[in-house]
Amino acid sequence: MKHNRRLWLSLFPLYSVFLGLALSGIMMLFLGQNPLVVYKELVIFAFRDIYNIADIFAKATPLILTGLAFGFAFRSTLFNIGAQGQFYIGCLAAVSCSLFFQVLPLPILLLICCVASMLAGGLWGSFVGYAKARFNANEFLLSMMSTYVAVAIMNYLIRGPLIETKGEYPQTDVIVENAWIPQLIPHTRLHWGFILALLVAFFAYFILWKTTLGFKIRAVGMNRDGARYAGINEKKVFVTVFFISGAFAGLAGFMEVNGIQHMLVQGFNPFIGAEGIGIAILGNAHPLGIVLSALLFGALKVGGNLVVQTSPIPSSIIGIMEGFVMLSVIVSYFIRERIIVASEKKRLREEERREESQ
Amino acid sequence: MPIKETDLAVELIGITKYFPGTIANHDVYLKIKKGEVVALLGENGAGKSTLMKILYGMYQPDSGSIKVNGKDVKIRSPQDAMALGIGMIHQHFTLVPVHTVVENVLLGAGAEDKGRASVSEAVKEIERMGKAYDLEVDPFAFVRQLAVGMQQRVEILKALYRGAQTLIMDEPTAVLTPQNTERLFSFIRDFREAGHSVIFITHKLNEVLDIADRIVVLRSGNVVGELLRSEASERELAQMMVGREVADLSSEVKAQEKDVHKKESILRVENIKVKGDRGHWAVDSLSMNIDGGEIFGIAGVSGNGQEELAEALCGLRAVSEGQIILRDNSLVGKSVHDLIHEGIGYIPADRHREGLVLDMSVEENLILKRFSSSEFASRGVLSEKNIQLYAQKIIEDYAIKTPSSVTKAKALSGGNQQKIVIARELGIASSLLVAVQPTRGLDLGAADYVHRALLNVRNEGQAVLLISTELSEVLTLSDRIGVMYRGRILKVFRREEADIEEIGLLMVGVTHDET
Amino acid sequence: MILVGLLARAIQMSTPLMVGALAEVFVERTGVMNIAIEGIFLMGAWAGFVGTYLSGSLIVGFLSAAVVGLFVGSFYGILTVYLKQHQIVTGTAINILAPGLALYLYRVFFGVPLLPLTVEPLPVFAIPVLSHIPIIGEALFRQNIMTYAAFIFVGIGYWILFKTRTGLILRSTGANPEAVDAAGINVEKIRFKAVLFSSAMNGLAGAFYSIGFLGLFTEDIIGGRGWIAFAICFLGNWNPLGAMIGALVFGLADATSIAIQTSGFRLIPNEFLIAIPYILTIIATISRKQFNVPAFLGIPYIKERR
Repeated sequence: MKHNRRLWLSLFPLYSVFLGLALSGIMMLFLGQNPLVVYKELVIFAFRDIYNIADIFAKATPLILTGLAFGFAFRSTLFNIGAQGQFYIGCLAAVSCSLFFQVLPLPILLLICCVASMLAGGLWGSFVGYAKARFNANEFLLSMMSTYVAVAIMNYLIRGPLIETKGEYPQTDVIVENAWIPQLIPHTRLHWGFILALLVAFFAYFILWKTTLGFKIRAVGMNRDGARYAGINEKKVFVTVFFISGAFAGLAGFMEVNGIQHMLVQGFNPFIGAEGIGIAILGNAHPLGIVLSALLFGALKVGGNLVVQTSPIPSSIIGIMEGFVMLSVIVSYFIRERIIVASEKKRLREEERREESQ
Repeated sequence: MPIKETDLAVELIGITKYFPGTIANHDVYLKIKKGEVVALLGENGAGKSTLMKILYGMYQPDSGSIKVNGKDVKIRSPQDAMALGIGMIHQHFTLVPVHTVVENVLLGAGAEDKGRASVSEAVKEIERMGKAYDLEVDPFAFVRQLAVGMQQRVEILKALYRGAQTLIMDEPTAVLTPQNTERLFSFIRDFREAGHSVIFITHKLNEVLDIADRIVVLRSGNVVGELLRSEASERELAQMMVGREVADLSSEVKAQEKDVHKKESILRVENIKVKGDRGHWAVDSLSMNIDGGEIFGIAGVSGNGQEELAEALCGLRAVSEGQIILRDNSLVGKSVHDLIHEGIGYIPADRHREGLVLDMSVEENLILKRFSSSEFASRGVLSEKNIQLYAQKIIEDYAIKTPSSVTKAKALSGGNQQKIVIARELGIASSLLVAVQPTRGLDLGAADYVHRALLNVRNEGQAVLLISTELSEVLTLSDRIGVMYRGRILKVFRREEADIEEIGLLMVGVTHDET
Repeated sequence: MILVGLLARAIQMSTPLMVGALAEVFVERTGVMNIAIEGIFLMGAWAGFVGTYLSGSLIVGFLSAAVVGLFVGSFYGILTVYLKQHQIVTGTAINILAPGLALYLYRVFFGVPLLPLTVEPLPVFAIPVLSHIPIIGEALFRQNIMTYAAFIFVGIGYWILFKTRTGLILRSTGANPEAVDAAGINVEKIRFKAVLFSSAMNGLAGAFYSIGFLGLFTEDIIGGRGWIAFAICFLGNWNPLGAMIGALVFGLADATSIAIQTSGFRLIPNEFLIAIPYILTIIATISRKQFNVPAFLGIPYIKERR
């Protein structure tokens, strides 16, 4: 009985996904659409052909990274809300390197862009970490504001120095093919970046649970005072965590610029940071959960986009689905805790009754 | 002697209460007469606080009933309790430090004066009660500026302002000096003379015999005995509390002393000054020496700089002036990490907050301070096998009761959690072991274990610094005792010379020259 | 003349910040952070616009905004106060849901209009006599009714918080909830009511952007200003007067950046001018030491623990 119950309890995140989708379904009714039909179409579309299936993984790629960005910091009880800004800074670094170093051969060029995006995102993030370490500033607010500043920087650069040669729209030129991440499956949008994202997820897992750095990060996250008493320098941890977290988000920028868009357009992918937060929460801040959740969100997007094109439902439904799923997950955590506590109490009462009858 | 129902202030009938993982109270029956002081005696975790919180309406019993003044009542909240004349002085004061005394008293004033805060009336009442019961306090002082003894007065005034006729006091003397304790007891006697009742929760045997008319002993949630003061002895009460014969450690300590060979000086502290959180000198020109093979105990009321001294010794707080020398090495300015390597072990006062990471496993907690050493990690990567082997050995050596080495620390009992801390710190303390309130919150068995562990460290030749507010603990274990007051050590006694009365006076700063 | 215009604009733009920050002060004094503030601002803006457009009355619009704010706040309150869930996680979930929900429901009500829909925003209401005081009078007393209400609200808020028993209870709840519990007052009820109140206020504040000032509704009408109100609560030291001053400062920053943009002053790029309020928040967050932070802010109150 106990074993079955534990299995049932661990599937709770799945139930919440269904609940979230159900709530979104209710919203569809307002527009006179049958949610069952819509969801059926969504699934059909998502898995219609290789292109779409591959697209799920392609869409999931940057989400894995922004999810890791929030989740990694969360392990230290730090709130990196600035992944969106770190993402944009990473994009800027990637596109700049792609434009300036375009004469270099593909492997070297990609390597430079990749590393540059991580360094740039990491540095941008470490400002927040440093402010937290030095001034004990509220990193929640700081990282939030840093995104707006990053947007300002990006808009300035895109309309100015980096603007396309035509000068018409606020976007850069298309980058040379030397800077395009090779496709994983031909004639799809899925590129090798997905594999890289999986490696990074594994890397995050390895750091957190198999290294001394990860030990420090988790100790600080679980009990800051205890970590201090153990001689762990929490300030160094803050800066390091925000650097790594920012680097993850910056790398997502490389993925999108060099893997999908092949250019940088103003205001693109504006929710990738927030979605990363949702994915991290859904995945319980664990790299494996984050990967799975990112794939789920990717499927929602791919299927959802096609549904939006073929029915009166607007694209905002995707955001609604994501939001409701998140809220359901939160409620499900609570219900799960309650169930565990109640069964503990019951067990105690039964034990006592047994003792008395002896 | 039959007790008439109307003679009873309070009666608890068949109270049972469950918490996740334990049975806090099991079928408890308790009668409190008017004009009586009843002591509720038991170890930590026996269920005394829980029972009284049920009486005060903060918890609801899972079964059972309560009678007040002979009538059946339902106490669903502290407001119900206060309306029935039951007041509670909590162990951890329920005061708002950033507010004034009046504001705190008014907070507990109840729904009668909603809206406007009738400050002037409250001030008058506070002053009147203060004079009547010798509990005077400045109504406009900020609570955080008051000394602990004064804060307790505010707690009492809060209850009296609401018309309490039965006072529940939860471990009230934990933070008091012997002199303050006497003042509290004389208040209790005055209160009883006025026909009111006091329920006094404690685990201190000596106080119980001093103040109680009747003693009720709880163990593991059950009432195991009830005695009148005249019938009770410390030994008998201790036995009831624990359920078996309790060893008297002090004779063993004396016997062991002969076998210990003292080494030369290990720790020399010279005129150090350490700043406290409020910017004042918490440690103010303090000096002391500790030799190898000796336990140096520091007695004192909490808040006189002991915690800051301990923090300075393990690198958590900066030393502004003076020198700390450990075996010819200066410690000033070194980080916590360095000091761990110097061989200083630290058993902290609050093991949940400072000593363990509860969400980490037993083995992770065991290596909490040495995870980067070559034994457990190479080039930044943790060696899981080595860690597991080490943990299993320690679990066996120290008999730590745990389902496995990967069980989370929060699942273990208090005593076993402290064993993790002790095992870890003994492994680190090659020179000095600093133990702050090491038996806080532990039952007698676990406390005994801790004491023996400290003695072992001493017997092996290391230096031990014991800081505790439990005077009996300091007196039993220490070879030498220093009394700390306002950041410095006023006098050092050898065990044989220790005089409780003089120590009590020193704890409040009264030195020989002043008497 | 330019100065008056600038000051007037500054005061106008500080209004929603003031209301939001004040609401946040109240709720944080009880120990709960209303992290959903940005999302509720947006829902309020949406509700205000929809209410006004459909009924033709601004009063209905503001009322709807408050009701919607209350509604969303009730979810946040239940999840964080009663179910003890993490405040930042729950608030973030709502903030992610809000834009999608607002846009979607806008579509449900209005479909896809050819031209952006507009309404008449709040009219300016000049107070006689006072509005003729040179410069200050002209800037301060020629505002709309909500601005006047905001200032009055600050005064009332200060009085309630520091001069009444209700305020004492509120402050004590955040400083030491156990003390309040021991006094027999229900901590959760107080916190939940505070969350409801602040959410209703946040709804009103958000509506100010759509129907008080601009007269339309777009996806990014709030643009992070809910967060600035949140920050102002911190920077104003959890004091209504501090919140007012902070709001005025940020309103001035906002107005200044717009003024520079429209004046064609090219030395500083437009993009950076837009970022001035956010940069200001960063600087202020780093340099301010929070003296009055309620001791138990952000920590759920768990009653029956060992």
